[in-house]
Amino acid sequence: MATTMRPDAAPSPAHHHHPTYHEVTRDIAATLGHPKRGYFILFGFVLLVLAAGIVALLYQIRRGLGVAGYSPPVMWAVYVTTFVFWVGIAHSGTLISAILYLFRSAWRTSVYRTAEAMTVFAVMTAGLFPLIHLGRLWYAYWLFPYPNQRGLWVNFKSPLVWDVFAVSTYFTVSTLFLIVGLIPDVAAIRDRATGWRKKLYTITALGWRGADYQWRHYVKAYLYLAALATPLVLSVHSVVSWDFAMSIVPGWHATIFAPYFVAGAIYSGVAMVITLMVPLRKVFRLERYITVVHFENLSKLLLLTGMIVAYSYLVEYFIAWYGGNPIERATFWNRAFGDYWWASWTMILCNGALPWLLWFRKIRRSIPALFVLSLFVNLGMWFERYVIIVVSLSHEYEPYAMGNYTPTWVDWTILAGSFAWFFMWFLLFAKNFPTVSITEVKEIIPWPRRREVRA
Amino acid sequence: MTRWVVPVTTGAAVVVVGALTVFAARGLRSQGPASPKVQPDTVVDLTYEAPVDVDTVGLPGPRQPIFYRHDVHAGQYRMDCRYCHYNVERSPSPGLPSLASCMGCHLIVGSGNPEVQKLRDAVAAKQPVQWVEVHRLSQFVHFSHERHVVAGELNCKECHGQVNRMPQVYQFASLKMGWCIACHKTKEYKDQPGRPVTTDCSACHY
Amino acid sequence: MTDGMNRRKFLKVLGVTGGGAAAMAGCSTERVEKLIPYLVPLEDQIPGLATYYASTCRECPAGCGVYLRVREGRAVKVEGNPDHPVNRGRVCARGQASLQGTYNPDRIRGPMERTLTGTFAPITWEAAITRVVERLKGAPAGSLWFLTGNEGGSFDRLVRDWLSALGSSHAVTFEPFAYEALWQANRAVFGIDAIPSYRLGDAECLVSFGADFLETWLSPVEHARGFAAAHGYHDGRMGRYVHVEPRLSMTAMSADEWIAPVPGTEGVLALAMAHVIVNHHLERAPADAVQLRGLLQPYEPDQVAGRTGVPAETVHRLAAEFAARPSLALPGGAGTQHRDAQLTAVAVNLLNYVAGNVGRTVVFEPAASGGNGSYVGVADLVAAARRNEIGVLFVHGANPAYATPPGLGVAEALAAVPFKVSFARCLDETAALADLVLPDHDPYEQWNDYTPRAGVRSLLQPVMQPVFDTRQTGDVLIDVARRMGGALGARFAGAAPEGGYKAYLQERWGELQRELADRRPFDEFWREAVQRGGVWRDLPASPVRVARDIALNPPTPTGGGRFTAIVYPSPTLYDGRGANRPWLQELPDPVTKVTWGTCVELHPDTASGLGLAEGDVVEVRSAAGAIEAPVYLYPGLRPDVVAVPLGQGHTAYGRYADGRGANALRLLGPEPAAFGGVVRYADVTVAATGAHVVLAKTEGKNRQLDRGIAQAVTVAGIAAGALEHKFHLPEAAPIPEREERILDEVARKQREATKYGPYAFETSRWGLAIDLAKCTGCSACVVACSAENNVPFVGEAQVARRREMQWIRIERYFEGGGPGEPLEARFVPMLCQQCGNAPCEPVCPVFATYHTPDGLNGQAYNRCVGTRYCSNNCPYKVRYFNWYDQSTPDDPRTFAWEEPLHWLLNPDVTVRSKGVMEKCTFCVQRIRGAQNEARVAGRDLADGDVVTACQQTCPADAIVFGNLTDAGSRVARLAADPRRYRVLESLNTQPAVTYLMKVRNLGGEA
Repeated sequence: MATTMRPDAAPSPAHHHHPTYHEVTRDIAATLGHPKRGYFILFGFVLLVLAAGIVALLYQIRRGLGVAGYSPPVMWAVYVTTFVFWVGIAHSGTLISAILYLFRSAWRTSVYRTAEAMTVFAVMTAGLFPLIHLGRLWYAYWLFPYPNQRGLWVNFKSPLVWDVFAVSTYFTVSTLFLIVGLIPDVAAIRDRATGWRKKLYTITALGWRGADYQWRHYVKAYLYLAALATPLVLSVHSVVSWDFAMSIVPGWHATIFAPYFVAGAIYSGVAMVITLMVPLRKVFRLERYITVVHFENLSKLLLLTGMIVAYSYLVEYFIAWYGGNPIERATFWNRAFGDYWWASWTMILCNGALPWLLWFRKIRRSIPALFVLSLFVNLGMWFERYVIIVVSLSHEYEPYAMGNYTPTWVDWTILAGSFAWFFMWFLLFAKNFPTVSITEVKEIIPWPRRREVRA
Repeated sequence: MTRWVVPVTTGAAVVVVGALTVFAARGLRSQGPASPKVQPDTVVDLTYEAPVDVDTVGLPGPRQPIFYRHDVHAGQYRMDCRYCHYNVERSPSPGLPSLASCMGCHLIVGSGNPEVQKLRDAVAAKQPVQWVEVHRLSQFVHFSHERHVVAGELNCKECHGQVNRMPQVYQFASLKMGWCIACHKTKEYKDQPGRPVTTDCSACHY
Repeated sequence: MTDGMNRRKFLKVLGVTGGGAAAMAGCSTERVEKLIPYLVPLEDQIPGLATYYASTCRECPAGCGVYLRVREGRAVKVEGNPDHPVNRGRVCARGQASLQGTYNPDRIRGPMERTLTGTFAPITWEAAITRVVERLKGAPAGSLWFLTGNEGGSFDRLVRDWLSALGSSHAVTFEPFAYEALWQANRAVFGIDAIPSYRLGDAECLVSFGADFLETWLSPVEHARGFAAAHGYHDGRMGRYVHVEPRLSMTAMSADEWIAPVPGTEGVLALAMAHVIVNHHLERAPADAVQLRGLLQPYEPDQVAGRTGVPAETVHRLAAEFAARPSLALPGGAGTQHRDAQLTAVAVNLLNYVAGNVGRTVVFEPAASGGNGSYVGVADLVAAARRNEIGVLFVHGANPAYATPPGLGVAEALAAVPFKVSFARCLDETAALADLVLPDHDPYEQWNDYTPRAGVRSLLQPVMQPVFDTRQTGDVLIDVARRMGGALGARFAGAAPEGGYKAYLQERWGELQRELADRRPFDEFWREAVQRGGVWRDLPASPVRVARDIALNPPTPTGGGRFTAIVYPSPTLYDGRGANRPWLQELPDPVTKVTWGTCVELHPDTASGLGLAEGDVVEVRSAAGAIEAPVYLYPGLRPDVVAVPLGQGHTAYGRYADGRGANALRLLGPEPAAFGGVVRYADVTVAATGAHVVLAKTEGKNRQLDRGIAQAVTVAGIAAGALEHKFHLPEAAPIPEREERILDEVARKQREATKYGPYAFETSRWGLAIDLAKCTGCSACVVACSAENNVPFVGEAQVARRREMQWIRIERYFEGGGPGEPLEARFVPMLCQQCGNAPCEPVCPVFATYHTPDGLNGQAYNRCVGTRYCSNNCPYKVRYFNWYDQSTPDDPRTFAWEEPLHWLLNPDVTVRSKGVMEKCTFCVQRIRGAQNEARVAGRDLADGDVVTACQQTCPADAIVFGNLTDAGSRVARLAADPRRYRVLESLNTQPAVTYLMKVRNLGGEA
């Protein structure tokens, strides 16, 4: 790979104030320095919220799902909403780290590590929710096809089973991808680390010594994994969308769902990357490596996917009307003007309207603006799933059985807990592994500086 | 460094795979009828005499409040199972003998036998004997003795084993679902050859 | 699955064999289960099989015959006695729930006496009876009073004998719904002291002037049968039913036309109709009808139109229809017992008379049972108590402290009685005031008899050992008599040597046998009677003539208040005696669909006028008192009327009733009306309190949004070929012929796919047909289903979250109701449709729900992991999830089977645990049971071998179950009926439930 990189490499952050190899290693390794008080306060807070979530979950398991706000016909609610939300978050990570890698887009180098880590942690979070929402969590293993004396098998017709495979595959691949990508960097900091960290890095570096044959294997492995991860970006969220599209619930039963969900997933993921990057950059003083150029590129991606999502919204409503099925129409009428109008309009505002601001270069290059915008998009994307799931279910075929749903403190606490769980991992990661790829940043440093270092 | 990384990873893999295989094997094995204990059919043996003194310590199965010996009653005296389990042909549940029916004989016979004395004391005290249940099905399984014995023409021992040779009754078959299914897959309707008996879930689960 | 309550464990506790039972090795091998044999086996009890005993339901005075299904010595289910002339094998919701009275955890567990501290303390029967004897010896003969409910049988006789032997004649009967006005009117018009039997089955034109004859009025189940026969649709012909009442009651919802007159003027309307008939339509009238012209002169339709608010032409039209065909008019029920109730009854009698119905559809049998007593009786008793004339008071089967208007002051009056003995089974408001409580056996634990009507003597027999340390009151009385000695002792010493009440009862039946001129030995006669559940015979109708002198006291003008409050009997709780049965509390009111509480019905316009929304708590205040309850918006009311059901607002009566809802009697004045009953109308004001609650109702939307859930046609429409083109969603584009073909092909393939392998032999497909022309919405099926299938109740808070569990729900939709168009209500019993192409099946990841070979949507509870996808994907929303664990006492907050309620659990049905989905499976346990029987007997199933719980109890016989593939079966024929339709058929779910459209007879043509 190194060989493919030419000196006049595409606009690279390192151009303007070229750091030397040495500086890169130093700066990035610096991010792993001893954390300050703020870090511990933040971390403690996160753990607190997580604990609350766990307590709520245990309470729910003890007494039954009734403690959550479910009220028939709304049989799926906050938990499934949050599941889809987190799976969605995961996607942009893979997009940036794998797809952009294959497209050789150089600007990804300094952001992809964070995105990739985010992917793994998001999938870890998402994976919890199908379990949390089970009536009998303790029999969750029945969802896996394993040989048993009963001679019973799972129902491969059920989208939920596809889900099991999709999510677990996605988790495996993206985790491998992250770990493999880390090897050279870990090796690099291993040589500077001391104490228990030294041990940790020694193991995770898998005996990396930077020998040529190791590089050869490494680059190949990374390439293959990228190739392997790429289709998942499309497949996983398509499968997730089929949880809904395969049903006969008006508002779910739509052919556009797969592309619609994939776009939405990347959309929300990019937003989350921005949300994470902005503070990270500040705290770790990585301005030299993560520059406005990166944010602008990200926001272009945000704009693109945002437009696709907005289009999908339009199509949904159009088809509901054009399809002429009165029940479908009633569902969408209820979505827009029914008891849940506020949820629907929040989603349309945040996802459909706000991204239009990104047409302005000023905003694309204003980091504060992007940060705020990304928060809105995160919110909007959560509500998108809430609207699709809860609002559709509340207004189905049987008028006598229609009814609304309101979450309880258990729903909210577990939702908050999921964020805590995500950030716990992310904070741990940020302080113990390089959040910017040392190796790849070095790769795009122009020749002169490299030579100078050699000399 | 690389030296030990590879063995470690492979070792881990081996462990995982091995665990899975064992698990699978266990699952699959318990599908077949658990029949290592099957003994030759000795029902026709008219000369069988139950051992006089039995070491109760070594016996399988739960210890009962009264050491009632099926091998004596059903084996040596060749009493029909249905004499005591009187419902087996007309009801889903086989029925337990009331103490009155025990006393039908033991009013006279068995004096001096301490176990029989226990029985008589219980009757005198109007205290039913609390037998320990040996064969148990969950409350979400509905099994009809009547249908299996009458329509299915099954012999008791196919599920309960050679009770007439058991000084103390023990659970002969696993009574797990795999065990039921394994049999259901092989059997056919007596009156309609070629028609397999049902393996429909709702035949037992409702 | 559930290691908690599973009925079989109780069986073992009970000391019976638990064969074929216990918890799976997988779950709990460690726990040692005991098998406890009988000491001596019960006769006629086969462990694992059910035995049926005949008895009589005593939930209301109707006296339906029932069979009790007994398993291992415990009654588990009530079913109707097919031979019984009153109910012919059907039972209402209250009857179905009667066993929850037997097994009620709040039943009094033994005799109790009031201590000095005012609390109750247990006492031995010996001591208790001695106490009674002492007190009786001390008390002067005249000061003995005995208050009973409507016992209507040998016990009534015993009480009177007993009292008279003690030299007292103060036997008072109190039945809250005594229909005093009817009795008075029959005396006044026909000079007969009886309630006739109304032959609804023979009435082609039925007009009810406020009689809720399908809910509480006289004999609802019997009426439902007759009504279904006359008003059901039979190839082109059906009766016509017009209901006259300011409120659209559940009964009225089955009417073809609803006329809402000014409150209290039904009588005037009836008289106007009579007026028209005697002047214009005398075809069917008896000769002496003409002489009534004078009497009816003032009621010329145009004259009264102003008062009743009903236009004259309507009256003329109705009168013409009424006179043209065999018809029947029904006098007002407990819900229309206003000041002029007697006028209504008299008017209806006259109307029936001039239309020539008396002797045809209104038949007076000779010696009808007296029985009902009257409110005046209690009023006298209270007065006497106030005057300290009562030394000892015995109360049995009556709860005046609750069931009378508080203004009457029963509680205060009883305080003045030095010694009060209650024989109550539950500590109700009256028993709570007693000094000594001697709990009676439950009707299903005792020997007794009851006379629902002349010619029918119905028997009660103990179907099991008493649940608690109770004693039958008859035995107690006789025991007391013996100890008293003297006249009393003599009276019973000879009569029933040591026999107790059973012997006394058999004496009465000896008399009956002589009366019937039955020559057989008594034992034979008795045995047969016990087996059949009683003896009955048809009596010749006694001819009646209208009296010469009938005075029509002019109707009283309605008084001040802004609204007229209608206090009507609850179809589910009756007068409130059902309030301690959780099944009845959770049973949605057929009209409002509200559970577990009281609501005030307001017309939407009225409400918006007052700025009130549903759930707003209002104060309803009358001259007598006030109640607070949330508002329910009900279009089936005159805007100048508010309606409140009776039955809630108990201040005692156990955990399920105490302190729940509001007692509507507070609105009513204590003073008896001229006819001697309570006036159940009151002038009230309605004011918001500012509070708001979420109503615990099971209804989502009450309009069907043109989705063809509840379809109806008119007789005229059918004649005009309305059934030819089937229902399509409006504005739904017709499916292209090609796609139609593809769909059919897919469907066929799917059907084929279930025919391979072991399935190839399975021929049956179970199906259900529901005739909406017969369904009255009475909800008996709902409770029957809960009883058969161990469906738990979930309580008010959960219902408010729409988490009710009943596997069958009666959906109630409104049609019309806008300005100028009549309001129409339609009922649809909605249960699992057992789709041939079920959306729930493919989405279950673990095959917990799947298609059985015989065409059911099987549900393996123990396999369910609870993803709830099946419910999301079910268009009919008939799958119910166990949000909490109702099945184990570990979670007392949600435990639904409080001991001894768990004895109700059906051992043939799995008790579901937390986190699993459950639903109707067409009573698969009954199907499998019948299949087993057939297999063992070596025969095939015949049509009718399997009867589902809902079908079994349906009073209107609207539900038919059977095998759809058997062309000869009843259900297959109904499924081919021209009125057939399937709900949401356009989804291609191919339901096994066929609905037959409701048919309305708008008059004129048919």
